[in-house]
Formats: sequence, C-alpha cells, structure tokens
Amino acid sequence: MEQYDRRPARQVTVPLVRRDSIGASHHVLTFEYDTPLEAQAGQFVMVRGTNWGQSPFLPRPMSLLHGGKRPSILVKVVGEGTRRLANAEPGDLFSVLAPLGRPWSPCSSHRVPILVAGGVGVCPLLFLARTLKQQGIRPVALYGGRSSGDLVLYEELQAESDLRLATEDGSAGVKGKVTALLDEALMEADGRATVYTCGPRAMMASVVAAARKANVPCEVSLETVMACGYGVCLGCAVPRFDGGYVYACSEGACIDGRVIDWKK
Amino acid sequence: MDLQVKIGELSLSNPVLTASGTFGYGIEFESFFDISRLGGICTKGLSLLPRVGNPPPRIRETASGMLNAIGLANIGVEAFCKDKLPRLRELGATVIPNLYASSVEDFIALAERLDREEGIAAVEVNVSCPNVTKGGLAFGVDPVAAAGVTAAVCKATRFPVWVKLSPEAGRITDVACACEEAGAQALSAINTIRGFAIDTETWRPLLANRTGGLSGPAIKPIAVRMVWEICQAVRIPVIGVGGIASAEDAIEFMLAGASAVQVGSANFRDPMASMTVLEGISAYCERKGLAAKDLIGKVVLD
Ligand SMILES: Cc1cc2nc3c(=O)[nH]c(=O)nc-3n(C[C@H](O)[C@H](O)[C@H](O)COP(=O)(O)OP(=O)(O)OC[C@H]3O[C@@H](n4cnc5c(N)ncnc54)[C@H](O)[C@@H]3O)c2cc1C
Ligand SMILES: Cc1cc2nc3c(=O)[nH]c(=O)nc-3n(C[C@H](O)[C@H](O)[C@H](O)COP(=O)(O)O)c2cc1C
Ligand code: FES
Repeated sequence: MEQYDRRPARQVTVPLVRRDSIGASHHVLTFEYDTPLEAQAGQFVMVRGTNWGQSPFLPRPMSLLHGGKRPSILVKVVGEGTRRLANAEPGDLFSVLAPLGRPWSPCSSHRVPILVAGGVGVCPLLFLARTLKQQGIRPVALYGGRSSGDLVLYEELQAESDLRLATEDGSAGVKGKVTALLDEALMEADGRATVYTCGPRAMMASVVAAARKANVPCEVSLETVMACGYGVCLGCAVPRFDGGYVYACSEGACIDGRVIDWKK
Repeated sequence: MDLQVKIGELSLSNPVLTASGTFGYGIEFESFFDISRLGGICTKGLSLLPRVGNPPPRIRETASGMLNAIGLANIGVEAFCKDKLPRLRELGATVIPNLYASSVEDFIALAERLDREEGIAAVEVNVSCPNVTKGGLAFGVDPVAAAGVTAAVCKATRFPVWVKLSPEAGRITDVACACEEAGAQALSAINTIRGFAIDTETWRPLLANRTGGLSGPAIKPIAVRMVWEICQAVRIPVIGVGGIASAEDAIEFMLAGASAVQVGSANFRDPMASMTVLEGISAYCERKGLAAKDLIGKVVLD
C-alpha cells in the first residue's frame, strides 16, 4: 500500500458556527477551529456534543466536506446521535477528533476520475471533487437516490464536476439506479477511468463489479459502526475477499474495492 | 502531589491505568499524549497465535454504554514482542500484557514467551472474556479452574501476575480468593457483562455473535459493588475497572477499596480520557491535601 502524509488526529473542543438545514433530515454543520484542520478528501471526524452526558455514549463518524478554519459535515438524521447533531445550535460545543482514516488515493493526470455517489455518500466525493478542481481536473460525477430529495448538495457537486443524476422514482435525472449511468461513463473514459464511490453497500458492490469488468481501479469509502475511529476498539471490521478483516477506520475509510468481500 | 500506589511489589507512578482492549497496544496513543504518564497500560488481549476475531457487526451502542463481541482479535504474542514492545520500552511506558488462551498449556506458553522480554511490569491473565467459544469465561466462573490457570502462569513467569475477574462468576469473591491463594499478586475487576440486543425491525440480534460484553457507565455501579466485595475478601490489591469516565468515577472505586483503576470504553469517545481522569485525581488530592493511596478503601460505613 502507498504511504500517505497523514496528519495525526487531534481532539479539540470547538463551537458550531452554522447549521444549514436542507429539509428536515439533512443538515450541514460548520465548526470553527483555532488552527486550521489539515484534512484530505475522504477523511472523516468523530464528533460528539459536549453536553450529551452519558448517552449517546460514543461519538459519531462523519465525513468531512472540507477542512480548514471552518470544516463542515453533512448529517442525515437516522437515530439519536444524528438527531442530537441536527438539533444543535450555533455556539454549542462539540469535541471533534480529526482528521481520521485513509484518504482517497490521488488521481493521476492522465486518468478520468468518475465519482459515484449514493445518498449521503456524496460527502467524501464532494471533498474529492473540490480537491481535483484545485488540480485542474474536472471529474465526472454520478449521483443517485430514491427521489430528488435524497440528492442533497447536488448543486455544489455540479459546480465542480460533469454531474449526472439518477433517481429511482424519476423525479430528477434518469429514472433508475445510479449504476445504470456508470456503464456509459466507463465507456466514454475508454479504459482510462479511475472510479471513486461511496454510498449504500449494494450500490458500492455493483460499482466495484462494473469497474472490475472495465478493468479500471476503484476505491470505495467504507461505512460501518465505529466506537473509536482511530484503530483501537477493533469494532469496525469489514470482511476481506481472502478471509480476515480490514478495519474501516484505519485501513479505510477509503480503500481498494477489490479488497472487500461484497458477498458478506 | 503524591499519586504513587503499590500493586504488590510493583510501584506505579499513579493509580490510572488503561483497560485491555480499549487502548490498542499503547503506541496508537503516542500522538495524543506521553503514554509514560500513565500508571500502566494493559494491552489488547494477546494469544499465542494471531486471531482475526469475530464477524461483524461486532459492536453496538446501548444506553450509557456499548456491547462488544470483538472475539479477541490480536496480532499474537510474537508480533507484540517484535513490533510493539520495543517502542513501548522506548517511550517509557509501564506495560502490562493481557493474556488470553483456551488451555492451561497455552497460558503457560504465553507467559514463558513474555518472560524472555524486558520492560514488562506485570502480566494480566484474562479468564473472563465472554466473546470466545473456548477458554475465557470457562476459567473465570470456576474457582478451581481459575486457580489452576493462575498457579500455572505464576510458575511460568518472573513477572507479577494479575488476574482479570469476570462479573459472571456465581460468587466473584470465591474466584478472587482462589486466585489469591494460587499466587496472584493483584486482581482486576471487572470484565464486561454479557448482554443481548435485538433489532426490532428485522427481529435479528444486533451483533453477529448474538451476545456481547456490556461496558461503559452502565456497568459502573455493579463494578464498584464487586470491587468492594472482593476487597473485603482478599488481602492482595484490587484494580477497579468498569465504566470509569471521570476522576469522580475513579475515586469511587478507590474509596470502595481499589488500589488503582483502569479506564476502558471511555478511551473510545475521547483518546485523552485517561489523562483527564489522572488530572482530576491529582486536583482532588491537592484539594483534599491527601495522597492518592489515602483514598483506598476509605468508604465510610456507619
Ligand atoms: C467513515 C464514516 C463516514 C460517515 N459519514 C457520514 C456523513 O457524512 N453523513 C452522515 O449522515 N452519516 C455518515 N456516516 C454514518 C453515520 O455515522 C451514522 O448514520 C450515525 O453514526 C448514526 O448514529 P445515530 O445515533 O443517529 O443512529 P443509531 O441510533 O446509532 O442508529 C440508527 C439507525 O441507523 C443505522 N446506522 C447506525 N450507524 C450506521 C452507519 N454507520 N451506517 C449506516 N447505518 C447506520 C442503525 O443500524 C440504525 O438502524 C458515516 C459513517 C462512517 C463510518
Ligand atoms: C471493545 C472491547 C474490547 C475488550 N477487550 C478485552 C481484552 O482483550 N481482554 C480483557 O481482559 N478485557 C477486554 N475488555 C474489557 C475491558 O478491559 C474492561 O474490563 C471492560 O470494558 C469494563 O470497563 P469499561 O466499562 O471502562 O469499558 C474489552 C472491552 C471492550 C469494550
Ligand atoms: S472504529 Fe475503533 S478500531 Fe475502527
């Protein structure tokens, strides 16, 4: 595996400075750092409100939309922890451990990056698109969800990419699954694609399969439950193709999709 | 501030240790703080051969705590001695390898392998892991079996032997006394308590292993009670573990009789948790004008 210049994670207590709600269930939270957070695309944070008491006991993993003085995350409400995050007000304090995890591998200039996002899987890919833009690369982005309401931050993604949408109910883009868009994009790239994907497991499994068929590299960003996020609880195991496990927080989150056993 | 405590012949700079399985091999924390500041580090449970551990999901958060069924995934004792221990020595850490085996023979082999190394303060024998099919709990719930393992390990090593007790023993004090009798220099209590959680949508267990060990603030009162009972039954030092997340939690264990404490799951939510506990104890002793050892067993019962 290649070596990356990864900053060690820092635990800081920082205030929320903005909450931008997108409908009832999606919220972009922005924190203010004293010294900028040096993070790379694909890295994540463990975040917990300082006023949470003993429950929820653990912090929650969230992908970074970007680092810097004012890093932000997009939270989709699915349970108690994300509900607490969504109800936070500017001024509330959070302990944030970051940057965590292995970032996306760099894309060499003679390849065509194809970003495939499902739902909130868009977060690490939006960060990647922004990074690629700074390198003068405009990626192809494919973004899918059940309906148009799931395609949060698609305008931000559109600003950095050649964006194509898919929804299962046809309310935005083509009707159907985002993977249907992938075959065409892979064909256009003519063997020079490098695929990056994050979203529901089944989606990532078919993206990895399609990339393998096209014989192009494909990285995925793993999502699992996590207790620590920094490699010591061993709770974030994901089955490897050859038996054994990879640890999503330290060997991932971003990892070669072929390493994973997608049948398990 | 005098924070020194004695665990048998071993003198620790302060009473705050980190609990096995919640602190990796220690060196993961190098970038967070100077790990030599800890009273000691109990490593992830080491077995003779590497273990990959249980299938996922392995963890689940529950009210004020979590269930885990990691299955003692670890790099094995050989890799620990080769790849981790030298760095721990360099960093000046007080290292307490935690040992797991499914037979007395393997416990002996583990202890003998570690005995060839320098820079080990004590070994902690885990007879209380609830998440493996063989060994583990089987030794920990039976006083005779626990004593057998303890005696065998004591014979195989020159290091002090601590035994980590299970709260699932019918009478934990019987196991505690048996281990003391067999030569243990200290007892750590408690390991996790088995729990079960079910997904109400799918009607399936939330952990692949079905049951898992409960840890975190949820188990603290049980742990304090058990430590208190054990302290009344044995003369050797007891190290309190279970739900410690603040200096007050740690002090409670010490008042109940613990000579030292281990910070466990709290490390997951904050890698600095052990330092926060240590600084809090130091401030408390300062405020009370006491040494840390003056707190041990001072619960007022009248
Ligand atoms: C590296 C990483 C990056 C992530 N990035 C983001 C992000 O940018 N935005 C975002 O909204 N979420 C993200 N997640 C998922 C997020 O961490 C979980 O949704 C969150 O922890 C759930 O907490 P809760 O207390 O609200 O839900 P819980 O009460 O813990 O669970 C509620 C429901 O959600 C399910 N659930 C819990 N954890 C996960 C999970 N990790 N993935 C899928 N389902 C889960 C549970 O099975 C349960 O059905 C990320 C996860 C990882 C591992
Ligand atoms: C994820 C996890 C892994 C653990 N692994 C071990 C282990 O390998 N050996 C051991 O003796 N105890 C192990 N334990 C038990 C802890 O050391 C401790 O006894 C228990 O978690 C109670 O303390 P706490 O509530 O502070 O976490 C583990 C606990 C957790 C949560
Ligand atoms: S989340 Fe703890 S080891 Fe990965």
